[in-house]
Amino acid sequence: MYSKPLPRPNADTKEFWKGCREHELRFQKCKNCDHVRWPPSVICPQCHSFEAKWIVSGGTGAIYSYVVYHIAFHPAFKKDLPYATAVVKLAEGPKILTNIVGCRPSELFCEMPVNLVWEDVSETVSLPKFTPFKD
Amino acid sequence: MAGTRLKDKYAIVGVGYTPQGRVPERSALSFHVEACANAIKDSGLGKDNIDGLICYRQFHPLANDVAVTPYLVAQHLGIQPAIMSQESYCARGQVLHAISLLDAGFCNYVLLVYGDNALSGRRSFAEGATNSEHPDDIAAFGEFSRVANFAMAARRAMHRFGTGPDTWKEIAVSQRKWANINPLAMSNKKMLTDRDYFNSEWVVEPFRRDDCCLVSDGGRACIITSTERARDLRHPTVTIMGIGEHNTSVDIHQSDIMAGPTGAALSGKKAFEMAGITRHAIDACEIYDCFTYTVEISLQDFGFFRPGEGKEWFKDGRAAPGGRLPVNTSGGLLSESYFMGLTPITEAVMQLMGRCEQRQLGPKTGNKTPELILCSDNGAVFQSSTAIILRRF
Repeated sequence: MYSKPLPRPNADTKEFWKGCREHELRFQKCKNCDHVRWPPSVICPQCHSFEAKWIVSGGTGAIYSYVVYHIAFHPAFKKDLPYATAVVKLAEGPKILTNIVGCRPSELFCEMPVNLVWEDVSETVSLPKFTPFKD
Repeated sequence: MAGTRLKDKYAIVGVGYTPQGRVPERSALSFHVEACANAIKDSGLGKDNIDGLICYRQFHPLANDVAVTPYLVAQHLGIQPAIMSQESYCARGQVLHAISLLDAGFCNYVLLVYGDNALSGRRSFAEGATNSEHPDDIAAFGEFSRVANFAMAARRAMHRFGTGPDTWKEIAVSQRKWANINPLAMSNKKMLTDRDYFNSEWVVEPFRRDDCCLVSDGGRACIITSTERARDLRHPTVTIMGIGEHNTSVDIHQSDIMAGPTGAALSGKKAFEMAGITRHAIDACEIYDCFTYTVEISLQDFGFFRPGEGKEWFKDGRAAPGGRLPVNTSGGLLSESYFMGLTPITEAVMQLMGRCEQRQLGPKTGNKTPELILCSDNGAVFQSSTAIILRRF
């Protein structure tokens, strides 16, 4: 039984989470100025255009920053300690909060190249996570 | 500069303390009410003088408490303010709002207050983890708490300009030295050496326990009025010489300013311009210190040293008692007690009034008797910053 908190898609984020379930990391791209934004919004924070299209990220990026948890704020994460969360800056521009899997927390560093892997955690939810870059 | 007209026009006239630290069997409301009553008494005003009341946005109530509202605080104080508000912008926004209300003529005496029973009530400060409904999708990745958010920023700063635990321990240790001469401080009796710092356990790496502020029971309040009115009151006059605020607003996880320049760069510039002075005139600093790194990046962004030079700057006790620039002279949020932005601001007021006893800057500590103190406040995770220059007038 998966006991960790799950995302709760809302009117703004449901397209993103739907994309995740289909293993596509989707972001809005402004049709006016090409700015790729996160989190989802009705307007572009750069130019205030309402016109946007959803694009699919290529899934490569680099660790912008990361932390290593030595205490569990939620009981379901206790067995993972110590575990890392990271902000990954994607090639398309957005920064997202995620986990780095497939290596030890002690191996992480800022600007480490990473690529996207999917973790299917329930019938309806897939989480975008990242792993050290492999060609 | 918009605020120049307001330079030294408003003053802080009374400070209210309560028992602080671990104070069980008390409601958050009771700390608000006690801090307010003590601030009124301290100022020499009567309760009916208070015509403005600004409370911090209360966290969810603990231990069967009722939710604190300005109505309740006013009811318990037996006052009927003309203007009340409750906001999450803490002392940084509240001081500006108080000045605005005073200058517009809506109020003559504005009371600011914060209180909580966070320690005895076991507030976790990781709302996502304790609420049954997780408000934020990032909980799915195990991302919780302010300590993690600030640690994320600190890690980026380690990468960007080479800061780290060697810098932060200087901050933790020097603030503890202030707490050791402040009997009110929660950590008054606890020594902290470099070795203790490095032995303290990781919370969210790169932060250890000693990088993190205290969780406290208690409350703090102060009153703002015109300098003209302050002159008739009992304490030496402490004016707001300069104040500036800036709200970068972007969530830390999307932020480009984890390693600075944070909002402090602009808020500081505005405050110094309004005051018409430079940082060289500052006698002491009371910097919002939710975490050690917050102190480093704030002072760096105020221009006291260049990126990465903090490690050298803090060395040899520069910020400690007797040092060249005292910082967080009560022990601060790290070692005195946690009352949001009111911990630094009220300490600056008490220092400038000359009421700090053993820790009073001057001959007792081997420092200059202060005339100008720079305070800062910080909101959310580097999303908001205020700089306030207070002056013994």
